[in-house]
Amino acid sequence: MLDGIGGDIENYMTLLSAREKVVASNIANADTPGYKTEDVDFSSVLDEADNAAPPRVTQPSGLRVKNDGNNVDLDREARLLAENALRFSVASNLLRSQLQDIKTALQDGSQS
Amino acid sequence: MSSLFSSMDVSASGMSAERQRAEVLVQNLANADTTRTADGGPYRRKDVVFQSSEVGSSFSTMLGSQMEEGGTGVEVAQVVTDNGEPDMRYMPGHPDANKDGFVAFPKVNPAEDMVDLLGASRSYQANVAAVGAIKDMIQRSIDLFR
Repeated sequence: MLDGIGGDIENYMTLLSAREKVVASNIANADTPGYKTEDVDFSSVLDEADNAAPPRVTQPSGLRVKNDGNNVDLDREARLLAENALRFSVASNLLRSQLQDIKTALQDGSQS
Repeated sequence: MSSLFSSMDVSASGMSAERQRAEVLVQNLANADTTRTADGGPYRRKDVVFQSSEVGSSFSTMLGSQMEEGGTGVEVAQVVTDNGEPDMRYMPGHPDANKDGFVAFPKVNPAEDMVDLLGASRSYQANVAAVGAIKDMIQRSIDLFR
């Protein structure tokens, strides 16, 4: 029962974790000369049927490159940090309600 | 979720690198007028050089790092010393004055170091914010057990 949508949510959360790591790397390297911003290619992962494949890391274009060759935009990373937290919160709440449904079913429909 | 723990290591590497940078900058500010050092001569300005590095979770490296790959963290590659000409000031009464009455002072620009210090502090805060967000995500995962 959980394999269907629950598995999808799980994959989504794994993907968000991977993205969180990439964002954390970008923030940690905000002052590293020559470092280029990285991002997880969300669309490619969601399009592919094989969700178990590791997420592809891309280098987003259109960011201003500073004099030291670094192109980390802290505002962008802060936005992604907040967005990731919200997405993760949605996913975990969805999964939780799934689990709650199963719990209710197991307990003969009576609310715990 | 284990990937979230290695994200924390990435942010922690950023925090420690920024802290080291701040330490060096504060050292420069404190020694802006130091004319004597153990090596002789005035204090020489120091600067850190950052480079990105692979940060493996201490846990996953213990487990043979078969579980996951680490993230890209940051580390202080080296601390460079500015060996440029010192700032010569005419102070004939100073005990470290040379025969012409000039004293070698470190070439430290406090304004430059203060601005850099602010940058280090802000970057440190950004890493702390990232740790907070990651902690929140881990907590949400733990809440699923309830």
